[in-house]
Amino acid sequence: MPSSATQPPAELTIRGDTWDARRASVWLASVALAQNVPREQIVRLDHCLDEALANVIAHGGPTALASPVRLQFGVRRSEGMCTAELAVADAGVAFDPSRYSPEPAPRPASLAEAKPEGLGLVMIRNFSDDLRYRRSEGRNHLTITVSWTEAA
Amino acid sequence: MAIQYEDVNDDIRRIFLRGRLDTAGSEQIAAEFAALAESAKRGVVVNLSDVTFLSSMGIRALIASAKAQQAKGGRMVLNVAGNDVVARTLEATGIDELIPTFEDEDEAERALLK
Repeated sequence: MPSSATQPPAELTIRGDTWDARRASVWLASVALAQNVPREQIVRLDHCLDEALANVIAHGGPTALASPVRLQFGVRRSEGMCTAELAVADAGVAFDPSRYSPEPAPRPASLAEAKPEGLGLVMIRNFSDDLRYRRSEGRNHLTITVSWTEAA
Repeated sequence: MAIQYEDVNDDIRRIFLRGRLDTAGSEQIAAEFAALAESAKRGVVVNLSDVTFLSSMGIRALIASAKAQQAKGGRMVLNVAGNDVVARTLEATGIDELIPTFEDEDEAERALLK
């Protein structure tokens, strides 16, 4: 799990529902600001978190909704290179976002052709710099990474 | 999440969305937004300048209503004046190319009348 040189990862456990997803967003902003993550990177992570949780709630099935969703957040800094990692672990049906969206979806040519399905995955991929997935002990583990540079 | 509207004249309705259009916020206003946006008016301007967060669920609501309005012979456009976060989200998902997006209310309304 991600950990900065000086701080253990922040953790939060939520229910699989949309209002607890909002609580998760508030938590994310709080812990990220506390670790001096730039606002722009927090916005990116916030988008990824909301979409990841929306997928769990909409598609994870009964076990996802009945079991807690565990979040971890950490920042690493090294010589001006910074990485924030947000991990989302749920008990829903197995789902690997990178596998189901290997390439950016082609953009529709017109409004009439627009199909909103799958937009959440597009947004997760657009707003993150890296996605890692593993399945372990009946739980999905998705790690979302954003990176930036700071003056050393 | 707050939603208000104003009928400018017989042709144009302005809809103002305010707050966080995340999954929860989108669910909260979905029915009311659809009812207001799929309007008998020829044109609808959806003002997103006070939206602090726009999720895929929120975008889905915009697309659905824009398509419905188009099917009735009308149009929907977006006003994102001063809201860089939402403008970037629309750009990242290509939605700004599907639903005309403006930085100015007057420009948005002129586009509806073309």
